[in-house]
Parts: sequence; structure tokens; C-alpha cells
Amino acid sequence: MTTYRSTRVISDKKSKTFFTDRTTHRKKCSCESDCDGSCRNSFSVSPQFDVNFSNSDATISQDADQFSFMAQESAELIWVKESCNIKVHTTDTQAGVSLQAGLQLAIALVLRITVGSADKSDAISQELFQQFELKQTNKQKIFICNTKDATVRTKDTDLAVNIQALLQILLALIVLVDIF
Amino acid sequence: MSDHSKPQIPEKVVEVVVDSIFKKNGVKPEELKKNLSDEQKKMLKEMVEDLKKQVDQFNNKNKIETSE
Repeated sequence: MTTYRSTRVISDKKSKTFFTDRTTHRKKCSCESDCDGSCRNSFSVSPQFDVNFSNSDATISQDADQFSFMAQESAELIWVKESCNIKVHTTDTQAGVSLQAGLQLAIALVLRITVGSADKSDAISQELFQQFELKQTNKQKIFICNTKDATVRTKDTDLAVNIQALLQILLALIVLVDIF
Repeated sequence: MSDHSKPQIPEKVVEVVVDSIFKKNGVKPEELKKNLSDEQKKMLKEMVEDLKKQVDQFNNKNKIETSE
């Protein structure tokens, strides 16, 4: 069973983190000992615990419609200053993103049809996507100053890797259930 | 499908992961085969082939842009 711990950083004095563990009802101060009244190691005047902070509603099950979600961040900034004749080529990530979503849906669909039970197929697809941790951040900043006749080309390789991985999963599934 | 310039997860690894997740959830691939009608099989096959084509296209586009 998973235990959920919550952290809180308090900005006064040093940065302190408190943990409350609801399953054992043990409270820990940031000085690593059980303090009550006042902290023994004088980290704070009185130890601060936020019992209500941990969320007892947290569960591991997720809604079925979450399988097409994917954490993705893509930020691109190209700044051209005091320059002339600069060519900029950027890759349009949108096509890739929708292709990625399509692949994920296809995987979920194959599972949904073959496994039959919705609960089970959701659990499996969820687990598959978790295994191939599909989280990515792509941040680019390009600054061109006092330049003439330059060509800039940017490329999003993360997305290509993701798509490749998803296609591989899909193909493996398809082979496993004997469609090919 | 395979493009050696791109980092790829080895096929065997994917296979084993998928298989183990199936096992963990108590699903047997042999049983899954029975759940599919021929029509569904055809539909899924078409879908996968279409997606594969799209992925190839996407990869090729990226490749052309880098080799220019």
C-alpha cells in the first residue's frame, strides 16, 4: 500500500520541511526527532505540524479518460536583434503531439477491445504509459545579436523518441494478441 | 520503422514489459485472441498500419530537415 507523505516548506528562518504520516500518527519535526511543545534542537519556537495538510482522499485509481493526457511542455524563444538576413526554421510540434495522442489512444483501444473488462484494460494501459515515463520538457532560447546571413534550425527530438516508443508498444501489443 | 539515428527502446524490452504487465493484471494473451472477431482484427490492423505510416512520415520529415 502506498503511503502518502506531504511536505511543506516554511520560509521563515531556515527552510524547514515537516512530515506528517497519518498511518502511524507519528509526527516528525524537521530536526528529525519527535518534538512537542517546542523543538528540542531549537529549529523553531514550537514545532509546526499541519495535520490537515495530508490529503486522505488521494487514491491510485484514475479515471479512464486520463490515458490521453501527457505532460508536455515546449517553450521556444528566438530573439533576433540588430541583425539582418537571418533565416529561422522551427519544427511544428503540433503534428507530433497529435500523433502521439493518437498512438496512446490506439494502445488504449486495443487493450479495451481485447481485454474486455474496462477496469482491467484501464489499469494495464495506465501502467504501460507509466513504465515508459512520457514526461518531457523542452525549452529553447536562442539569441541572435549583431549577425548577418545566419540560418537557425531547431528540432524537437524528445517528441520523436516518445512517438517511437509508443509505436513500439502498440506493435508489441498487436503481435501479442495475434493481429499481425 | 527503425531509424538507427534515433534512440530506440530495444524491441525485446518492450515485449517483456508488456508481457509482465499483462501477467501482473492476470491477463493471458491466449485469451485475448479469442475476444477478437475477424472484423475487429481487420479494423485494428488498418488503424495500426495507418499510425505506423504517420510515424514514418513524421520521422522522415525530421530527417530531411536535419540533413539539409
